[in-house]
Amino acid sequence: MIVLGFDTATPATAVGLRLADGSTLQARDDPGSDEHPGHATRLLAMTHELLGGAGLRFGDLDRIAVGLGPGTFTGLRVGVATARGLAQSLGIELAGVSSLRALAEGAMRSELDGSHVLAVLDARRGEAFLAAYELTDRGSVEELVAPCALAPEKLGSVAQRGGEWRAVGDGAVRFRSQLEAAGVAVPPDCSPLHLLSGETICDLGARAEAVASSYEAVVPDYRRRPDAEIALERK
Amino acid sequence: MIVLALESSCDDTCAAVLGADGHVRSNVISSQGVHDRFGGVVPEIASRQHMELANLIVAQALNEAGVRIDEIGLVAATQGPGLVGALLVGLSTAKALAAGRELPFAPVDHLQGHVAANFLASDGSEEEFEPPFLCLIASGGHTLLVHVREREGFEVLGRTLDDAAGEAFDKGARMLGLGYPGGAALERLAAGGDPEAFPFPGSRSERSRGGRGTARQAFARSLDFSFAGLKTALLYRLRECSEAEVLARRGDLAASYQAAIVDSLIARAERAIELTGLERLAVGGGVAANGELRRRLGELDAEVHIPPRVLCTDNAAMIASAARFARAWPYPEYLTLDAYATGEEPSSAQTTGRGRSEHPLESGR
Ligand SMILES: [Zn+2]
Repeated sequence: MIVLGFDTATPATAVGLRLADGSTLQARDDPGSDEHPGHATRLLAMTHELLGGAGLRFGDLDRIAVGLGPGTFTGLRVGVATARGLAQSLGIELAGVSSLRALAEGAMRSELDGSHVLAVLDARRGEAFLAAYELTDRGSVEELVAPCALAPEKLGSVAQRGGEWRAVGDGAVRFRSQLEAAGVAVPPDCSPLHLLSGETICDLGARAEAVASSYEAVVPDYRRRPDAEIALERK
Repeated sequence: MIVLALESSCDDTCAAVLGADGHVRSNVISSQGVHDRFGGVVPEIASRQHMELANLIVAQALNEAGVRIDEIGLVAATQGPGLVGALLVGLSTAKALAAGRELPFAPVDHLQGHVAANFLASDGSEEEFEPPFLCLIASGGHTLLVHVREREGFEVLGRTLDDAAGEAFDKGARMLGLGYPGGAALERLAAGGDPEAFPFPGSRSERSRGGRGTARQAFARSLDFSFAGLKTALLYRLRECSEAEVLARRGDLAASYQAAIVDSLIARAERAIELTGLERLAVGGGVAANGELRRRLGELDAEVHIPPRVLCTDNAAMIASAARFARAWPYPEYLTLDAYATGEEPSSAQTTGRGRSEHPLESGR
């Protein structure tokens, strides 16, 4: 099965192309701190290049996998709209995966000693999106804490149970001091463990349940309501 | 070539299919009713609604047209101006639909879409309108007067310096306690009132009493629009009146307010006809549904073309119509296209970089 997977939950644009032999090609775009995300302008272009490099075309794909977030709202919508549009155009399967799980599983795979991982993304406005995962003895990854938006001082409290915790993601970098104060290890800022990879999206997407029509069932995981709705209720 | 187009610049999720002969095969519009309780369109909520609906609306448009996706020859979408987050849902969907099949793609300017609605022959009953003509576009988001020489492109003769005409209708309606959106309610209330009771700024009755100084007269001679002063005038008028008086004269207030908006639109259109010598006027935008405006347009000394209401308000058939005459980008050139919020269409050089989510307002004219 040839799977195209991508994620736009963070400012980065990460694309993976899993070939029939199970190997994966990857491309990514990480904007500098003063640059805007390249989701709208880079995602399809990078995908086109990856396909070309493998001697493939969109028509050769069997499945599209997309990171559903949580993350930046506009980024998620560009990713999900692109994934749905491609799947609808080609009439192929579409699978949505959790961006936080992808982040955690990516870290577990490359870090042999990390069985407890907090996936933390910067949610802006002084909050983080967080989920907690455990690598079980059977090799499966269990979700201990479902994705939620949390204030930085509450991040560490999630890591009370279990063994040694480490936290990955741009939110882990941003809120390093709060996490370390709670005994959670955070890899160096420049560590690739903090990056969501297209490869993990492809792997999770290949295993996930997929839809072959009704593409609207694959929706962004916002985890936050629009400000206007909350403001209206407070009136 | 069969065209599939998407439009998502504001709060309507739209998809349409145009046959190879240019006839509208389907024109699906889903208006988001979710913004009324907020008293205006909330960008984040609009974007979420577009996300929910985009693929369903596309599927429905294909279905109603009796067309399979592999019969589509060109995909188009609104690139701007509009709410960037909303535009990006339609644009990303459309680019992906095109890319999957390596189809060409046409990015369309929303205002060009309103102009191009006039090129559509609706259900064979009406003749299409061909350039050259003047076009008055008035909606909740835009108010401008343009000169259309060819089927692609237009020259802006005048535009609003502040609020859009539809926005003025909605704000006036809210001040009169008619809720949001209130344009239609204001029109109903105005039907029983005296349009000359209150000489609001921009109205004929105000102008006939002589302007207020040279600056005002100079403005009246330009083809630009301004509705902010009108809104303020209504606010002051409402403050001056007692509650009982407001209640008794709501019809007059609404009629005079509406007359000021319509007079202002008609006066600029008349002047543009005079200046260009072009006695052909087309109309676009939701305000074209206003009965008083339509009546007054009918009195103009010109050939006036008003598309059916469904083609005046935001829709994707007009985007598909514009796409027929726009430059189509071959695959894969369009993959880097971004949406733009305001101003003119960005050049291709600007679309490939990142970091430009907003365009500076067009300067000069
Ligand atoms: Zn419009």
